[in-house]
Amino acid sequence: MQPNKDILTQVTELIKSLAPEHQDINEATDLVADLDFDSLKVMKLLEELEDRFDISVPLNLLPSIRTVEDLALQLQRIIDEE
Amino acid sequence: MLEATPTEQGLALRYGDFATLHEALEYAALGKTGYNFYTAKGKLGYALSYTELREDAIAAAQRLVGLNLERSAKVAVVAETDPGFMRLFYGCQYAGLVPVPLPASVRLGGHKAYVEQLRRLLTKCQAQVAVASQIFLPFLKEAAEGLAIRFLGTPDELLKLPKTKTPLQPSGPDELAYLQYTSGSTRFPRGVMITNRTVMNNLGHIIRNGAKVRPGDRAMSWLPFYHDMGLVGFVLSPMASQLSVDYLCTQDFGMRPRMWLTLISENRATISFSPPFGYELCMQRLGEAPGAQFDLSSWRVAGIGAEPIRPEPLQRFAEMMAPSGFDKNAFLACYGMAECSLAISFPPTGEGLQIDRVDPEPLAQNQRAVQLPPAATSPTQAKMFVKCGAPLPDHEIEVRDPSGRLLPERHVGSLFVRGPSVMSGYFGEEALTREVLSPDGWLNTGDLAYIADGSIVITGRQKDLIIINGRNIWPQDLEQIAESQPTVRMADASAFPVTCAGGEDKTVLVIECRETSPETREELRNEVRRQVLQELGIDCFIELVPRNTLPRTTSGKLARSQAKRDFLQRVAEGKVALPGIRDEIDCLPQLAVRAAAARA
Repeated sequence: MQPNKDILTQVTELIKSLAPEHQDINEATDLVADLDFDSLKVMKLLEELEDRFDISVPLNLLPSIRTVEDLALQLQRIIDEE
Repeated sequence: MLEATPTEQGLALRYGDFATLHEALEYAALGKTGYNFYTAKGKLGYALSYTELREDAIAAAQRLVGLNLERSAKVAVVAETDPGFMRLFYGCQYAGLVPVPLPASVRLGGHKAYVEQLRRLLTKCQAQVAVASQIFLPFLKEAAEGLAIRFLGTPDELLKLPKTKTPLQPSGPDELAYLQYTSGSTRFPRGVMITNRTVMNNLGHIIRNGAKVRPGDRAMSWLPFYHDMGLVGFVLSPMASQLSVDYLCTQDFGMRPRMWLTLISENRATISFSPPFGYELCMQRLGEAPGAQFDLSSWRVAGIGAEPIRPEPLQRFAEMMAPSGFDKNAFLACYGMAECSLAISFPPTGEGLQIDRVDPEPLAQNQRAVQLPPAATSPTQAKMFVKCGAPLPDHEIEVRDPSGRLLPERHVGSLFVRGPSVMSGYFGEEALTREVLSPDGWLNTGDLAYIADGSIVITGRQKDLIIINGRNIWPQDLEQIAESQPTVRMADASAFPVTCAGGEDKTVLVIECRETSPETREELRNEVRRQVLQELGIDCFIELVPRNTLPRTTSGKLARSQAKRDFLQRVAEGKVALPGIRDEIDCLPQLAVRAAAARA
């Protein structure tokens, strides 16, 4: 399954604003390994995503999200369900 | 429409003077108060009155007893901030079983690490029953695979089991009230054993001498139920004093810290605690001038605990929130740990932070905390410590030197505590228990402190504990992650905290590495860093050093404190670049001199 382009663009843009400067970010970027997102940064990212898409992200999704693409796919699933 | 339980108790306030948690709930159930659970956006999701909770707990107990478990069998519950946890926790009290709260904390990409953590805990506590909500059940099931567990399911599934006909026999005063696993590390968990008598002693003190609860009080908390401050401070204490509590789940607080302050404002809460990091997170997210958007005038006790307390950020919080009615005198800096149920000392309420200003020279030279006159020196010349108040009334404290001799006031040494709130030991860990708890009842807190005018002042830690954002992180966990890499050998890693400018801990992990290729070294560094983030949710600074760089004690065990000194020395000499730790280097006199020599 491919994530919706618009969601992917928005997610990438948001992550860019939280990631270290000059970091190259694409679909395969690993949020933890490549961007060193700690728990608090992840929470900040989730808040912005929830507000932007007006959704609520269930906690149990987090452990299976690694990359930007994983995150975009999960968001799309939530948006489609709501 | 859903309505929160009222602040008004509807019965005479009793200050936790019960023999057991079960008795305390029997009394609270006669009133109107209870636990209220709010959603991420601050809407009331469920109001669980103590009356309803009592019925639910009995219903859960009847099913648990129906499983024919032996008395005091362990019931592991993933401790989400929800009514299900309460029903199970108190259900165990009615059934004579022992609840074991499990962490409900997951991280990005952390599936494997979380499942392994749950499995270690289930094994360690010998859980006979394991319960989690629908959300966490898949993880718990995976963790419990192959373990001999009688029942594994959701609270709802438990309630579908047949009821026992046997009358319930609630846990007595000398039976365990719960096992608390937060004080240990994630890889080497240690379960603090707390009996009903022990926790009731601590609750009585928290209620009467700590928060000084009075009619009209209302509590608010976002602290996790699997932590001592969340569980004992904000689940058990309010119930034992018949107060209503408003809960926000920890992750929701992390996402929207302002909700903490919003819920206090809306519900007119009077008592709420947080580690310093919670206050700091609010400041970070609210921006510089939040103005008067909250009404915090009801907040009478703004407790602070669970990590070292520095006055400056709290003073900034107070200034920032003053337009919202926050009273800086509401700050209450406490000291405690799970091994002493929760609380060890409290200062008086309503007086704000009590600061002790000491001369840094004699402190560094011979561990003496010589007080400076209030206005004589600029703040930069003084070392500022926060006084955490006098020990609980029927508790004794001692500050001892390394040889065990008692030290007088204002001398820094190891802090010991003895009294009826101290744990019985670590479950199934006699050797570990003996290390911290003497046969005559003295608990080695592992903290360094001095006494000033009868008040405990914590200056540092002797135990190798790292505290990040109020969470205890044990160096063993980081070291084991490093040592599990194929290119790293056992005992070739050492982790320790260093204090950065601004005062927060930064975790350093030094690894001995034989590899010479830059790519392999970079790979190792990235892999360890990633695993630490996934398992512990913290970032760490990794230094790779040649073989035989790390110091070893005669037992072969690494001496972390020596490893840390060596590391700081390398930083001082410019061999390692770690910005922001100048502070700590300059605090170590010999190092500063050597650093100056190296720079010259």
